[in-house]
Amino acid sequence: MNKIFKLTLVLLLICAIVAGVLGVINELTYRRIEELTIQKTNTAYGAVLKAESYKELDKAALGLPAAIDKVNIDSVNEALDASGNVLGYVIVTTFSGAQGNITLASGVDSDFLCSGISVIEHSETSGLGAVAASTSQAGADWRAQFAGQGEDIALTKAGGQIDAISGATITSRTIAKAVSVSIQVAKEVAA
Amino acid sequence: MYFRTKLKEGVITNNPILVQQLGMCATMAITTTLFNGVGMGLSVLIILTCCNVCVAAIRKIIPEEIRLAIFVVVIAGFVTIVDLLLQAFIPALSSALGVFIPLIVVNCIIIGRAEAFCQKNTVGASFVDGITQGLGYTCVLILMCLIRELLGSGRFGGGLIDITNGFRFTMDGTGAGIQLFPSDYGASILNLPFGGFLTLGVIFGTMQYALKKSAKKKEAAEQAAAAAAAAAAKEVDE
Repeated sequence: MNKIFKLTLVLLLICAIVAGVLGVINELTYRRIEELTIQKTNTAYGAVLKAESYKELDKAALGLPAAIDKVNIDSVNEALDASGNVLGYVIVTTFSGAQGNITLASGVDSDFLCSGISVIEHSETSGLGAVAASTSQAGADWRAQFAGQGEDIALTKAGGQIDAISGATITSRTIAKAVSVSIQVAKEVAA
Repeated sequence: MYFRTKLKEGVITNNPILVQQLGMCATMAITTTLFNGVGMGLSVLIILTCCNVCVAAIRKIIPEEIRLAIFVVVIAGFVTIVDLLLQAFIPALSSALGVFIPLIVVNCIIIGRAEAFCQKNTVGASFVDGITQGLGYTCVLILMCLIRELLGSGRFGGGLIDITNGFRFTMDGTGAGIQLFPSDYGASILNLPFGGFLTLGVIFGTMQYALKKSAKKKEAAEQAAAAAAAAAAKEVDE
């Protein structure tokens, strides 16, 4: 009995010390981490729809479903100009690509046309599906196809407007679907 | 002298990856650019050294029965500290390494060293052990990155070196590296996890071959010396 008590005490002491140190480190870093996160999202959103600031909307209050066509809606953000007018929406979606989940930010302007897309996170095959997220010319050219598209986006082989990345039809198709869903969501939110 | 013996042990004869075969998961997953390799290597080196020192310092007050639980708490503490600091000050590295920084908690190199070495040795010796084992780990990561980056995408020093406006080191992971040949000609399979297996396997094989060879050489030299000694003894007898 005594032994168990002693073991517990030692473990408790060590855990308490570690927790205390972590608390101090967290206190020192959390503001900076928060700042960096906001900065990062603003840069990502800015790449798809330029605006002065972004305001996240409450999905539950808007009555949006959690997912449409297996595309999860992570967040809906209003893009505002300096005087607070709504320029459009930035919609972040997560869906399953060819290899794993893809997180995508899509910009939708006030005419409900896509203003640009940016892949935030993915695990697609390097050299094939990863082109969709790459900073190379090929990647930028591929993403540029989405600008100005309306709600019914599809690949050219399905009679649409978007050329698939060669060797990465699934990645291309799922991204095209997610952009359509995003525009649909923007319409619902605006209505 | 002690440091040099330990350094040789950590980098070559008792290398954590190539000889002890520990912590291979992260090794294969993150060694795609030099920036990741150096970042991961140094993170592990720092965490390993801190944990080694800490475990050695409290080794006399740790009850035998709960030592593993205590090691894990200490390791998790240091990993979280490094994770938070990276997120705050080197966000590029933090996002490139992703889940592999928190996963250092269960990296068997660290718990392995705590269990096998620091439990029985002084703080000073454990400190040296942490540095040398960490360097051994870092060296292998760098080697893997160099091979995979070169053959996979024809690059050298991705993320760490930028030559667009003269040669400079980039600490934020934005450098494009030095393109030695167009990336279209690279075997991009080496950038995938499969390429990690392949590269690590080849390095393993080479290392084992070299170690066996040097062991044989040593044995042969010892035998020759023994034979010479025996011959000399015989001569004296006659």
